[in-house]
Amino acid sequence: MMILIFLEDMLADLGCDSITAAATVDQALALIDEQSFDAVLLDMNLNGDKTCVVADKLAACGTPFIFCTGNDHKIWKDHRDRAVLKKPFKYEDLEEMLTHLPLSPTKS
Amino acid sequence: MSYFMPEIIKKSQEQQTAEAEVARFRERRGPFVVAAETTRMAMVFMDAKEPGNPIIFANDSFLSLTGYERKEVLGQEFNFLMAHCADTEAQAKIKAEFEGNPKSGTEIRYRRKDGSAFWAALFISPVRDEAGNIVQYFASYIDLTRHKEEQIQSKMLIEELNHRVKNTLSTVQSIVWQAMRASSDPKVIREAIESRLLALSRSHDLLTRENWDSAGLFDVVKDALEPFGVTGSRAERIVIKGANIRIPPQLTLAFGIAFHELATNAVKYGSLSNGVGSILIAWTVEPSPKGNQLVLKWQERNGPLVTPPARKGFGSRVLENGLARELEGDVRLDYPIDGMVCKISFPVPRGYRGE
Repeated sequence: MMILIFLEDMLADLGCDSITAAATVDQALALIDEQSFDAVLLDMNLNGDKTCVVADKLAACGTPFIFCTGNDHKIWKDHRDRAVLKKPFKYEDLEEMLTHLPLSPTKS
Repeated sequence: MSYFMPEIIKKSQEQQTAEAEVARFRERRGPFVVAAETTRMAMVFMDAKEPGNPIIFANDSFLSLTGYERKEVLGQEFNFLMAHCADTEAQAKIKAEFEGNPKSGTEIRYRRKDGSAFWAALFISPVRDEAGNIVQYFASYIDLTRHKEEQIQSKMLIEELNHRVKNTLSTVQSIVWQAMRASSDPKVIREAIESRLLALSRSHDLLTRENWDSAGLFDVVKDALEPFGVTGSRAERIVIKGANIRIPPQLTLAFGIAFHELATNAVKYGSLSNGVGSILIAWTVEPSPKGNQLVLKWQERNGPLVTPPARKGFGSRVLENGLARELEGDVRLDYPIDGMVCKISFPVPRGYRGE
């Protein structure tokens, strides 16, 4: 829980205008249905559940995302080209990855 | 699972001679014979003079390990047990074992008569005649099934542990970050970090007592309020009422932090900041169209007169955003003049032992 609040603050500092957070796979999937996002930071494990369904959905929508994990996780087959942020991470590393994240193909 | 139905081998003259030789040894019933027959270690003897090293003796332990009857096994080529006949890697390992393996034992995957597979450590030793020629081979097996299962369990536990530790470190990072943003006074920073770290540590202890399976809500609330005197001099001033409903580890940690924030605020500004104020923490389960809702109210009374805060502080964010998200429910802070109220409602977690 604290980590999400902390991430919100870090992202706000980095210039994100609007930040929405989800603590479970269900919440994440619902959010993706409700709104479109410029970028997503996706933990590979949310509340004990693996999040590959969320990754699949984000890829299908063309939403850029970065994986986040504490373990030396093997990245799921269809998503091997995504950037991975290892927990705990430095503010500068998050900044670096977000700066280099390719924009969504639907954006001009 | 398919059964392997071995063809009962029609015995050649050589096979009959070899089996008869073993039978003669057995008739003498020396101590070694008794040992080979009764040991719990699965053992076979093979005829080294025939191709395929056919089995000429198998003890009872071998038969119970593999599920075969003695007549199905005698005369079979040694490798008939292998899980995958075409597994060249396993065949090479077995060949090396025949030739004298310096390492102790080779692990091979075998198949029982009922089709189930198991791992066994295989040891092969030659039996020589007086001239030094190898006449038989002796093989023993150690069933590694339980060992393999324990290895898998162990690996899973270690990965789970690493995941938890990384999350804890990230939580600590966020506690430190937050404390340093909220103040530039080193004393205030230290105090904020310490008190939250200790709250986190208490939650961990609580979960460890329950093997990280789940925790009871009453225990969580009582434990979080303990540093604030719920059992000491302030005992009558803090009243907790509600069933010890089981909640999962993630919610236990979130509630630990949330109640710590509420109590800290009560001490600084609320009903624990004077000598007479009190807190009532009570919850019930209420049915709703979406399923049972747990409704908890933190009610402060007789503290100094309350004025709503000018700005939402960190504590408000933790409760109204963070906790609400974790619970997939609602959290509201209200500031009526006679005492702050926090109302929390969320779906009762399912799949945990009820009380």
